[in-house]
Amino acid sequence: MPRSTTSTALKLVILLVLFAAIVAAFGLYQPRFLQTSLVSTVLQFASMLALVALGQALIVLAGGAGIDLSVGGIVSLSAILSMMALQAGAPPVTLPVLAVAIGALLGAVNGILVTRIRILPLIATLGTLFVYGGLAMALTAGGSLSGVPQWLVPFGRGLVGGVPYHFLALVLPAYLAAAVILTFTAWGRWLYAMGYNERSAHLVGIRVDRIRFFAYCLSGALSGLAALVSLAWFGSGRPNIGLNLELESLAAALLGGIAITGGSGGVIGVLIAVLMIVTLKTGLQFVNVSTVWQVGIVGALLLLVLLLDFLIPRRRA
Amino acid sequence: MTDNAFLEARGIGKQFGGVTALADVDMDIRRGEVLALLGDNGAGKSTFVKVLAGAHRPSAGTIAIEGRPVSLASPQDAAAAGIATIYQELALSENLSVAENVYLGREDVRRILGIPFLKRAEMRRRVGVLLDELDAHIPNPDMPVGGLSGGQRQAVAICRALNLDARLVIMDEPTAALAVAETRKVLALVRRLAERGCAVVLISHNIADVFEVADRMVVFRRGRKIAERRRADTDPEEIVSFITGAHPSLRSLEHLG
Ligand SMILES: Nc1ncnc2c1ncn2[C@@H]1O[C@H](COP(=O)(O)OP(=O)(O)O)[C@@H](O)[C@H]1O
Ligand SMILES: [Mg+2]
Repeated sequence: MPRSTTSTALKLVILLVLFAAIVAAFGLYQPRFLQTSLVSTVLQFASMLALVALGQALIVLAGGAGIDLSVGGIVSLSAILSMMALQAGAPPVTLPVLAVAIGALLGAVNGILVTRIRILPLIATLGTLFVYGGLAMALTAGGSLSGVPQWLVPFGRGLVGGVPYHFLALVLPAYLAAAVILTFTAWGRWLYAMGYNERSAHLVGIRVDRIRFFAYCLSGALSGLAALVSLAWFGSGRPNIGLNLELESLAAALLGGIAITGGSGGVIGVLIAVLMIVTLKTGLQFVNVSTVWQVGIVGALLLLVLLLDFLIPRRRA
Repeated sequence: MTDNAFLEARGIGKQFGGVTALADVDMDIRRGEVLALLGDNGAGKSTFVKVLAGAHRPSAGTIAIEGRPVSLASPQDAAAAGIATIYQELALSENLSVAENVYLGREDVRRILGIPFLKRAEMRRRVGVLLDELDAHIPNPDMPVGGLSGGQRQAVAICRALNLDARLVIMDEPTAALAVAETRKVLALVRRLAERGCAVVLISHNIADVFEVADRMVVFRRGRKIAERRRADTDPEEIVSFITGAHPSLRSLEHLG
């Protein structure tokens, strides 16, 4: 794996050290923090962010100033729309497919805005974040939609050997598949090539726009999957369930070693970063730091990574 | 039609808005021959080769390959017709290895459930052989392209063209950014390509380089082809006078321009 291996490995080491420091700090301050249920708690809270961050990572990796600020809006709106579909008479068994398909569709809108209409991804997905998030609130007047089928609930709350079902059944396979595809397939080579140097990728015949469009669809589908996890977990559709996911997923992708400029990094680091962020939030919760501050701290973390990325020099054509 | 012509371009024109970048260019490109395109900055050389590469659609004219009319509407069309272009800014991905670059976009894969898994060992082996054949001085196909010299990068780009079984290789200023020793190596690569039966089109500003490798030369001026000479029938002075517009035969043209 030649592409900037050293800087990727270095970022991973820094990440692991930071992770260990966070766990140690909370452990020293509040030894009760290190109870065995910590792992289950962190993984339970990690699934949604992990799925969303994977899509975010792929979009950033694909370059072209790629970013998906609308992920939180997609999570909220897919949860609401799929529940409304059920209320309107769709068979309950279709709920998983509905959530993912609606997510993919909302992602496709981003893909069209970016690759066809050529709106800057930052602006396009900021727009759809508000449209999707606003729509989710408007459709429900801010309330929750109940009626999640009972058979789905164990999937949202059950554990196998201390690990939540959804983490085992969705998150691990998704990251494994992404890692294999990025490393061992032609698709992976194309994504890295276009992320690093779009023009040269285009010149060798890589269908840059098509792949990028697909990345936005995939990010949407993964957000739809996160919506499904939320439905199973809470037993209802909440119109604000995706709040702050754009910030956290971006922080996870960049902390995990994905270069904001695209074309460099891998997804395993992203998963580790997700676990780290959730551990941090869990720890802050544990020592009674309010949610508002938690968001601020994740935001500061994001700025810190961007700053580091800026300061560590990279060779570029 | 000339015997041995691989590609015949007739009446090629290209407008960019109001700018005429090319006007009424005829050209035959032959197998096993290095054809050099010369001309001042803005003369239309790059635009012409981009038409052949499928990167620009011509506003006028026709192109035939092996006697058959073709439409080169995209880089894919050109690649399918056996035309490989090595651009001034090399189309290499610095974050990928030599072998990955040689195969980029045309990977050797084994499909499992429709997913194109790379045949990495096979690709590495093949690239190793090509690098040896070209005497490219790249020790290892796994090296990242980001760490290679300008000449080595040209070699990677040439390998890429060969690996695509290109029958026409177009090179836009391959030696522009190279030191003397590297330039010699790249020129040797260019000759080797022609000896393998490839048609080669080379854009260069360096008259000495052109006289070293080219079998034929075409001079562009203000979007028009103003001269075509076999190397044996000309000398550097004449070619320079065509490029600068000082050649006596150009007087009438200059008045029109
Ligand atoms: N993409 C483009 N858009 C507008 N004008 C262009 C474009 N490409 C080339 N030109 C113009 O066409 C003319 C020929 O340019 P070019 O083919 O690059 O010349 P050369 O390669 O011989 O230096 C120049 O006047 C240039 O400004
Ligand atoms: Mg040029």
